[in-house]
Amino acid sequence: MKKSIFTLALALVALVASAQIKKPELMVIPSDVWCISNGYYTEIENLGTTVKVPNYKQALQENMGLKLAIAKLNDLMAERQFPLQSLEQTIKNLEQRRMEDNLTMSKAGNELAESPLDEVARTAKCDIILELSWEVKDFGPKHSLSYILEARDAYTAKSIGAASGTGAPSLSADVDVLLEEAIVANMDNFNNRLLDHFTEMQTIGREISLDIKVFANNAAGIDLESEYGDDELLDIINNWLQVNTVQGRFSMPYASENIANFTQVRIPVYDERGRAIDANGFAKGLAKYLKKEPYNIPSKVLVKGLGRAVIILGEK
Amino acid sequence: MKKFLLSLLVVALCVPASAGLRQKQANKDTQNFRYEIECAGNAIQGTYLVKVWTYSKKASVAENQCRKNAIHGVIFKGYGGGQGCVSQRPMVNTPGAETQFKEYFDSFFADGGEFQKYASILGGTTETVKVGKEYKVGCTVSVRKDDLRKALEAAGIVRGLNSGF
Repeated sequence: MKKSIFTLALALVALVASAQIKKPELMVIPSDVWCISNGYYTEIENLGTTVKVPNYKQALQENMGLKLAIAKLNDLMAERQFPLQSLEQTIKNLEQRRMEDNLTMSKAGNELAESPLDEVARTAKCDIILELSWEVKDFGPKHSLSYILEARDAYTAKSIGAASGTGAPSLSADVDVLLEEAIVANMDNFNNRLLDHFTEMQTIGREISLDIKVFANNAAGIDLESEYGDDELLDIINNWLQVNTVQGRFSMPYASENIANFTQVRIPVYDERGRAIDANGFAKGLAKYLKKEPYNIPSKVLVKGLGRAVIILGEK
Repeated sequence: MKKFLLSLLVVALCVPASAGLRQKQANKDTQNFRYEIECAGNAIQGTYLVKVWTYSKKASVAENQCRKNAIHGVIFKGYGGGQGCVSQRPMVNTPGAETQFKEYFDSFFADGGEFQKYASILGGTTETVKVGKEYKVGCTVSVRKDDLRKALEAAGIVRGLNSGF
């Protein structure tokens, strides 16, 4: 009897634990405009045009205000049980990964095309980027601080919410004090917007983007216009999405015989067995469906975090 | 002599009764949002600094009600910003929450209730203005909003940022 009660309790605990939605990872990054206006950037030649790219490492090493702002934000978020990922640690991991990538590149002969922000987001696997900027404005002997903190979904690039404002002009307070004041004063409004986003996600599903691609000259000999009965493969995928998204919510901004981009795909936060799912789990569901009769299409699922997945059809 | 004692007795009975009535009216005014709340400047971490204007026929009743109104305002009303102040929306912004959790809030806002833990009037900030037949009393109140939010989260009235994950 005791044993069966214990087993039942264990099963209940497991069920509750598995029913938790996967928690998004957040990270603070100084905005492009802040990095460039403060001189923390690198110039890169790109197709004959000089592009300014933010240099996060330099900013962290040379700007005490930035470190203070990140520490303060982390402190306030940790107080709400939402600790942030460290940008500094991410950069260190990134450098380690770059060294490994360089060795791989020399063998393959290919170069990786990624912006620094993509690299950071991918290495950190952060789901929400908090972009921070501030500027000190002088009014005669007084100065005040304008502050913006914007949250953006790392996969869909959609703005989740922002908090901004200009503090009262001060004669005596230094920039670090004004910055800390601005962060503390604006944090509740910012967290309210984050909470709205999380509530929406828990109500109408997690928003992801899904790309379907086709291996060139694949062994299965298929593309998205291949016909199965009266339907093309793209129609079959569309029908599957219609059934498996929350209230059939998704849009397809681009499709050809080789590629289809699905955005604003609202996936349920739990699968039919009550387990939490993300973009990877959802994409695997579609891949499994296409692998079965009558389609028999092998595919490869690439994971890009909680909110983005790529399925490449035709080969494993 | 008898007449004098009787009058004294009537007065002795009426004074507390009228004070009680005024307090009752002040509580009613709080429930009906008959007070004003505005930002009073940037506060230290974990607190809000608000200026609350309360109305009553007796200045002392209005002054006593300031803390209650400050907490009520932070929970249900929010306040505007400007001049370096940041506006804040109400902590509870679900329509009907006041009615849904009536039992909790009745006990929370009762005279001498839990609300007292989260507010303190800053000394020397009280202003009294006579408006018609009543007094308008303004006090600057420091509200321990982080602790207040945690209490409301624990009671299941507001969602924590972490809830559901």
